[in-house]
Amino acid sequence: MKQLINTFLAILIVAFGLMFLAYRLNSAEGYSGGNTLTIYNWGDYIDPDLLKQFQEETGITVIYQTFDSNEAMLTKVEQGGTVFDVVVPSDYAIAKMREENLLLPLDHSKIPNLTNIDSKFMDLSFDPGNMYSVPYFWGTVGIIYNPDMTEGMDFSSWNSLWDKRLNNEIFLVDGAREVMGMALNSLHYSVNDKNEEHLQEALSKLNKLSPNVKAIVGDEIKMLLANEEASVGIVWSGDASEIMDENDKLDYVVPEEGSNIWFDNMVIPRTAANVEGAHKFINFMLRPDVAAQNTEYVGYSTPNTPALALLPEDISGDERFYPPAEITDRLEVYDNLGKRMLAHYNELFLKFKMNKK
Amino acid sequence: MRSKNKNGIANIYLVLVFVVLYAPIFYLMYYSFNSGGTMHEFEGFTLDYYREVVGDTRLMIIMINTLVIALLSSAIATVIAVIGALAIQHVRSRRAKNTLLSLNNVLIVSPDVIIGASFLILFTIVGIKLGFTSVLLSHVAFSIPIAVIMILPHLQEMSPTLTDAARDLGATRRDVLTKVILPIIKPGIFSGFFMALTYSLDDFAVTFFVTGNGYSTLSVEIYSRARQGVSLSINALSTLIFLFTILLVIGYYYLNQRKNKPMMHTAEPVAEAGVPR
Repeated sequence: MKQLINTFLAILIVAFGLMFLAYRLNSAEGYSGGNTLTIYNWGDYIDPDLLKQFQEETGITVIYQTFDSNEAMLTKVEQGGTVFDVVVPSDYAIAKMREENLLLPLDHSKIPNLTNIDSKFMDLSFDPGNMYSVPYFWGTVGIIYNPDMTEGMDFSSWNSLWDKRLNNEIFLVDGAREVMGMALNSLHYSVNDKNEEHLQEALSKLNKLSPNVKAIVGDEIKMLLANEEASVGIVWSGDASEIMDENDKLDYVVPEEGSNIWFDNMVIPRTAANVEGAHKFINFMLRPDVAAQNTEYVGYSTPNTPALALLPEDISGDERFYPPAEITDRLEVYDNLGKRMLAHYNELFLKFKMNKK
Repeated sequence: MRSKNKNGIANIYLVLVFVVLYAPIFYLMYYSFNSGGTMHEFEGFTLDYYREVVGDTRLMIIMINTLVIALLSSAIATVIAVIGALAIQHVRSRRAKNTLLSLNNVLIVSPDVIIGASFLILFTIVGIKLGFTSVLLSHVAFSIPIAVIMILPHLQEMSPTLTDAARDLGATRRDVLTKVILPIIKPGIFSGFFMALTYSLDDFAVTFFVTGNGYSTLSVEIYSRARQGVSLSINALSTLIFLFTILLVIGYYYLNQRKNKPMMHTAEPVAEAGVPR
């Protein structure tokens, strides 16, 4: 009995000691002060030094929380319980949040640095006039390939994927919009095509691709490609840059027929407590020096034109991640297709998956 | 001769099992010292990732949060579970007892995601702010059934004549509890505590739903970082936590050895079987 009590006392003492330590650390960082700003962002998606810098410049303490998918983020924002001041969702999630009235309109007069954003990344279909959102990073969907294993094949067209030499050599990312979009693009249609004939055409074209498809996989696609389990993959450019960090033999290309362009954007949820601070933070992130530093840390493509000029040539001049205008002109954002059309896309994609032997 | 041979095979088997169990952990620890920055080739020895972990105050706070939650929640859960197990044991009707046990087991096998989502809805309705309290409460809640199931077999194993004898010899109810029952079920209490501790340390699904307002735990943080590929600083952090848990276990055995010499029950009876995962 005595031993039980002693042990539990010891546990309590250790726990409260640790709690005190955490409290000291928190107040040393200033987290317990009144003037705070809560940011909800993807994991490892900002240079931590910038948060400190923001704190020093404005005196606002940043509480930083992370999520791993738009869906998870939506659940937490919708349910409430936590107050977030700035959130960084992707394009389609913003369309959804706008529909559900979860966002506050931005006061553009408080974000003078908005002019730094390249005009071609403004006023997009998911948020006309940038009423609610400001671009944070962007990227594309494209082909990553291993030149050693594909013997000099040229992947500048989506149609090269149907080449017989690629038998059982392609990994597809498990996303209906991405795979259907790729098939539609290869037929020179839009990734947002709603024409039933075009969609059926895309499906039968996909079915012809299936002998070449090794697997349709989720996030593990990065590891599989880096380990050279197959020579070709359809991936997002963000994933591609990570894969190439792991294995520098691989190369990435955005096919010339066009592709999807995606955006992660900063928004202010309706429940935000520190709206003033949120605007300050968004404006801070748009400063060229800040955006450049963040781009170097994260490795995705920045929409900030003056920041691009501050970046070393081997980043800003990389056409794989900053493609020339003739390609970016053909890139399309995913429109919100509506529930029924989206379900139809999913169904067609499912049919393709089931047909695959 | 034959029995010796048999022993040899058994030993080889045991060694194999331990190799399989520990190889991934040691693999991970090994690469936490790799200056190359990847898990592919070992280039050279470095302590950079440990420095990174210690230098990252946010990560340190999250790690401390995780440990505090684990220690507190499993201690509270164990206390409640002891009372619960005594109560279940006390119920006379066989049917009522079985119902209680089944209810306890349902909680163990119900999916974490559902428990987490229910807690999120409950907390927001009741108005508990997400953060330390919500995480602690939910961890206590999902740890109790596990601790109960570790403690019950010891209670059932205990001969009822022991308590009767104690009562006959004039022990009060309180004496029976503190001097007879609790010492006998002590191994169950400790295994319940440690089981709850590991559950709390590695739970992601429930914790994800109930963290908020800047309060986070390691599982949630590592999971959202893993999207960008797991950095070696996570290896370093995992190594530190592994060492911490080893220290806990060593501490436990040290306590046991020192105090238990004259007592019975140096070996752990039954108990560990029958818990999922």
